[in-house]
Amino acid sequence: MNRKNNPGATVAPPSESARPARRAVRPQPRLDDYAAVVGPAEIDELRYLAQQLRGRTVKMVNSTAVGGGVAEILNRLVPLMNELEIATKWEVITGGEDFFAVTKAFHNALHGSPYELTQEASDVFLSYNEQNRQSMQFGEDLVVIHDPQPAGLVLSKPEGKAKWIWRCHIDLSHPHPGVWGLLRPLVEQYDAAIFSSPSFSRSQMGIPQYLFFPAIDPLAEKNKKLDDKKVQEVCDRFGIDRKRPILTQISRFDRLKDPVGVIRAYKMAKHYADCQLVLAGGGATDDPEGAQVLAEVKEAAAGDPDVIILDLPPWSHVEINALQRASTIVIQKSLREGFGLTVSEALWKGKPVIAGAVGGIPVQVIHKLTGMLVHSVEGCAYQIRYLLTHPDFARQLGRNGREHVRANFLITSNLKRYMLLYLILLKISSPLVS
Amino acid sequence: MIPVGQRAARKPFQFRSAAHLLRIEPQRATTVAELLEGLRSCSDASIFEHTFQTLREHHFITEGFSNDFAQWALAACNEARLAEHLAAVDIREFTEIAGLRQRLVSVMDEYVRTHPEAAGRTAFEPFYFAASELFVVPTPYQAHNLEEFASSLEKVSVASIHYHFVDARLRLKLDSNNFSVWLEEALDLGDLAQQIKRIDIYTLTLEGVRQRILEAVQKALNGASGSKEA
Repeated sequence: MNRKNNPGATVAPPSESARPARRAVRPQPRLDDYAAVVGPAEIDELRYLAQQLRGRTVKMVNSTAVGGGVAEILNRLVPLMNELEIATKWEVITGGEDFFAVTKAFHNALHGSPYELTQEASDVFLSYNEQNRQSMQFGEDLVVIHDPQPAGLVLSKPEGKAKWIWRCHIDLSHPHPGVWGLLRPLVEQYDAAIFSSPSFSRSQMGIPQYLFFPAIDPLAEKNKKLDDKKVQEVCDRFGIDRKRPILTQISRFDRLKDPVGVIRAYKMAKHYADCQLVLAGGGATDDPEGAQVLAEVKEAAAGDPDVIILDLPPWSHVEINALQRASTIVIQKSLREGFGLTVSEALWKGKPVIAGAVGGIPVQVIHKLTGMLVHSVEGCAYQIRYLLTHPDFARQLGRNGREHVRANFLITSNLKRYMLLYLILLKISSPLVS
Repeated sequence: MIPVGQRAARKPFQFRSAAHLLRIEPQRATTVAELLEGLRSCSDASIFEHTFQTLREHHFITEGFSNDFAQWALAACNEARLAEHLAAVDIREFTEIAGLRQRLVSVMDEYVRTHPEAAGRTAFEPFYFAASELFVVPTPYQAHNLEEFASSLEKVSVASIHYHFVDARLRLKLDSNNFSVWLEEALDLGDLAQQIKRIDIYTLTLEGVRQRILEAVQKALNGASGSKEA
């Protein structure tokens, strides 16, 4: 594609017919495949912990089988647990459009958005949970319920040995009082809760709360090693010049990701350093607000051939991987964020990351150690200039960032944390310090 | 005479590792004064986590302060002097949590008394107390002599290095570390034990600690250090 005559170029989403033909199903990685990434000692440790749990049964429940970070994690976690002979099932609750409209509104309200909770919304939420309870069996030793949508299933918790865990993937630091008032009595019936950041937890809750970071799969298409030929091919396809610095933000076209702010920061930095900006994301086609944001982004980029806007379809894992690997700096200038696993993806590729100090990002980006945290467009512009003129420091950030992800944000760490929590709750093994 | 490297240990060294799970504690601090209150009331496990485990969590970084309290005082409160005082609390001086807690509280108390204007200033971000639940995990590595010790040490995880070299101090109330104790008690290598004990855990990564131990052991194996102990 020639961008010379196409300033502020946008690559339109391919139609569904452009989707690559489904390749032969490749076997999923086995636990031993991760030894090359985390070391054999880590795999030995996982096997030892699993031995203590052998024969126990687990059920994971969430509200969607595809799309989103939770489904992505469960897609890897459940097979790995089964490989370790911890019999694990994954079930998805069902609901009508009215249920998902209510739970989406709850989700936003729990993140702090204004909302008026009605009796009707409460009834919809509780009645779908009741319907799902009627159709599901809970005979497992451990039940892990993900997020608020199926939180009401806990009313099926039997008396006795079974332990129930509520895994909250969202920021509960400033929840809507009405929605939290509805959820809290349910959540407090669990045996433990898990949060992605201590700042997301609730200080006055009557059950133990644990910290589990979300995780990326280093062997997934989005994160696995790519040869440079593939990276070059993707850059060529999108008209990206690898001879000049490349700044990239990968995220949905969503105002909370501040894509227009990223363009402003790039323009400020460009006064000092020749560089290109790639904004790659998706979700605009089926999200009216996303389409509007994409239009705003195009307008902000208009006239600049070095701003490349890529509206990618959801199956573009290899493309995203290649774009991150081609980048000189990866930006995630979110104004609000859940955890922001795209940050871990970039750190894993050894990239210096400049990111907004919001949500779970500061857990991943430790300022000046594993990346740079910023609070404004101006701060972002300054750090772009700084890292472009101090490439050794940028490389050190990238190296530290990769190790930080290796130690904390890989699927193997996630697996280990689940097993440790099972050991505690089932009283199979007591921790040494508690 | 049997070379130092092959001298049989009175008992083998069993390498272990540790797995950790973080529990979020109820205490939170948004000011220096609240951190002081939290330090007084938090669990022993929380003190352990924020002083000892940071060295494990950030084992690949030597920049920044080595305990979470100091890091927060600097990064979130901009209280550089307090941060330096907290960072100067050397965990090697303590063999139990109570003493360590008392020292941290006294440093904070002194600062709050002498800098009352700083005590109530709201931090950029809160400090969340956490506690690490630690599970001991066996490894397949065992050493019956110094050569086996060196070859096993090369292979174990950094979590194992942390377990034996850092958190053994408080866990076992040792004024030392597992490696030094074994070298002295099982192999009569007192000088080597002392050299290893002096390795600075604050200014090295855990990989750096591993390398320093291996260097010292290699010298002993080559006769440069350990020979006089033969």
